Amino acid sequence: MPIISNVTCPVCGSLCDDIEILVENNKVVKVKNACGLGESKFLNYNGHRLRKPLIRKNGELVEASIKEAIRRSAEILADAAYPILYGWSNTSCEAIRVGLELAEEIGGVIDNTSTVCHGPSVLSIQDVGYSTCTLGQIRHRADLVIYWGSNPWSAHPRHIERYTAFTQGRFQASIWYRYLAHLSAYRARRRLLRALKLSSVREAPTIEAEAGLPPTLFRKERKMIVVDVRRTRTADIADYFLQVEPNKDYEVLEALRALIRDEEIDMDTVAGVPVETLEELADVMIGCKFGVLFFGVGLTMSMGKLRNIDTAICMVRDLNRYTKFIIMPMRGHFNVTGSNVVSTWQTGYPYAVDFSHGYPRYNPGETSVVDILARGESDASLIVASDPVAHFPKAAVENLVRNPVIVIDPEPTPTTLMADVVFPSSFVGIETEGTAYRMDHVPLPLKKIVEPPSGCLSDMEILQRILAEVRKIKRETAEVA
Amino acid sequence: MVVVLRPKRAFKLPVEAECITPDSFAGKSVDEIGKLKVWEGNRERSLNELFSVEGEIGAKPEEVMVKIFGDVHKVRRIGTQMSAGEIVVHGDVGFHLGEEMVGGKILVDGNAGSWLGSMMKGGVIEVKGDAGDYVGSAYRGSSTRGMSGGTIVIHGDAGNELGYYMRKGIIKVHGNVGQFTGVHMKNGIVVVYGNSEGRSGAEMTGGKIVVCGSVPSVLPTFTVEAVKSRVKINGEKLAGPFYLFKGDIAEEGEGKLYISKASNAHLKSYENLV
Ligand code: SF4
Repeated sequence: MPIISNVTCPVCGSLCDDIEILVENNKVVKVKNACGLGESKFLNYNGHRLRKPLIRKNGELVEASIKEAIRRSAEILADAAYPILYGWSNTSCEAIRVGLELAEEIGGVIDNTSTVCHGPSVLSIQDVGYSTCTLGQIRHRADLVIYWGSNPWSAHPRHIERYTAFTQGRFQASIWYRYLAHLSAYRARRRLLRALKLSSVREAPTIEAEAGLPPTLFRKERKMIVVDVRRTRTADIADYFLQVEPNKDYEVLEALRALIRDEEIDMDTVAGVPVETLEELADVMIGCKFGVLFFGVGLTMSMGKLRNIDTAICMVRDLNRYTKFIIMPMRGHFNVTGSNVVSTWQTGYPYAVDFSHGYPRYNPGETSVVDILARGESDASLIVASDPVAHFPKAAVENLVRNPVIVIDPEPTPTTLMADVVFPSSFVGIETEGTAYRMDHVPLPLKKIVEPPSGCLSDMEILQRILAEVRKIKRETAEVA
Repeated sequence: MVVVLRPKRAFKLPVEAECITPDSFAGKSVDEIGKLKVWEGNRERSLNELFSVEGEIGAKPEEVMVKIFGDVHKVRRIGTQMSAGEIVVHGDVGFHLGEEMVGGKILVDGNAGSWLGSMMKGGVIEVKGDAGDYVGSAYRGSSTRGMSGGTIVIHGDAGNELGYYMRKGIIKVHGNVGQFTGVHMKNGIVVVYGNSEGRSGAEMTGGKIVVCGSVPSVLPTFTVEAVKSRVKINGEKLAGPFYLFKGDIAEEGEGKLYISKASNAHLKSYENLV
């Protein structure tokens, strides 16, 4: 029974590379070290999947040969005057590279899912730059960790355990057992209050928000602060939880920046937080030796979007006058960072790249796929490992399905149901090898641990064959002309 | 001398027509203008495949007046880098109108798309309807190429991030504006006669913003300086009173933000600090 070790988990942007997997008869039977999300992907990926290429004929999706499906897709794409190529965050860098080549060949617009998650982060990084480092450095050196608008306990379950509060660094101690005690005490208290509430007629006392900052924030060991609009699981274990009013993150960040510069603020509270608390928080940030600000979609997609990140980055820049501070986006899909990186090294732009004039152009809002769809400008689309029908706004979806849709995905999704051509692909990181970028821009190898079912090609092979077929069609039309 | 362009059909794909400027039309015949290249999606076409062209063309850009009749809201980059002459659009127009414009005049009867007059250096743009986001803004990721001269007047509403990284010139909006008016502004003047959705002057380091209508709040990084009875903008006197704020202190900014006192009763507490 082969145990495969050092497997990289292809689920979230933390890209844990210490997974051990037991394989029996080409089947994953046991997974060690992964979190619930990772484990269930490794164990259950094969249950519900596509196995045969499908083509829509007379309004119905019918099984077809791979050759036929490739030809049909190439015809659609070669014919299109403004095609879009979207997805890419759940596939390997190698496939993305072929996708970019295809986009150039057909004069299309290629965009990845950052358009709807961390696109604003990218825009503001281009505006003001940013200082960052690797997760390993954070693990060994950071003594202050802030999660802003991000809930790693649920979305990146092993992030805290591997890189921040729950792990002991080589140069930075962490009293992680305190966090565990904190967590169980908090849960017990919640249970008790709930029991009290259920058993008595009187209203149970609510947990009062503490006015000042807890003394634990001033200790030497690693500290963790969570800023969010509501109490999340991650907030439960933090040393301090700062609750801000929804859509007011920008004001809080701006106020913190002014306080870090020793300026006075004319207000008493900002976004429901007393200015004294913010003052103390600014002092904690200035006083740390190595601070890190992780931000999530709670910040990039709340009101202000790119400006929230813009000012967060500027705050970190200001903090570097006093101490070492870095900032990092909490990327969701396992290779969304890779799709930005590959796109940047191939075209100069990280997402929303428009090849319609034969060379790359970039202007999110104008060349981003959601906006193009909302305006109804595209006339065909290729979707790779993504499900825009389930996630895009209604008007955009209507315009998407009005035109031919080609989907490459291992799993059936609402988008595959609406598609005109569907390719079943193999799972990257389980049935196909490749490369992916972790959220801190560290490339990691994805392993092949089992054989794919026969007939399921990898995303890269499918794209290569479509590209070859498109080139063939172009040659044919050129000869006829 | 007037050249008239009329779209031959409704466009679905984005059309990029940088060539529609007095500068590239000047001294050409109607036929030559018809042969200028435009993009429709990823197909290169000549202008007369998409537009009918007629009229007389002046020899120099300042003698050319381009009139466009019909809906051109999918047509982008009209008037790019124009230096003289006039463009009149009777209808709605698409993104990037008058981008990097240096001189001359553009008049729009209908609405204009986003990036109106972005990176503008001189000249006048007047829009009778509404404008989109990023009016008079900088190119993405560029902190030095904001609007650096000229005048933009919008009679309707404008969207978010108007005057982003603005360095010089004047923008007037008679209707309402979205958020982040004058974000990262370095100099220049923005006047909003209607209401603002807030966060005006975020991260500004210089320049002047006047809001005559209401604002939901003022950013915490602005400090109140005085109450002024009126503001003078380019010779035009705006009757107040106005609260004068200075900021953005997060950027050590010296920008001036005037907010109408009459329309913002909720800012009264600032008076104690004056
Ligand atoms: S934290 Fe993310 S990468 Fe790590 S095992 Fe869980 S899902 Fe996989």
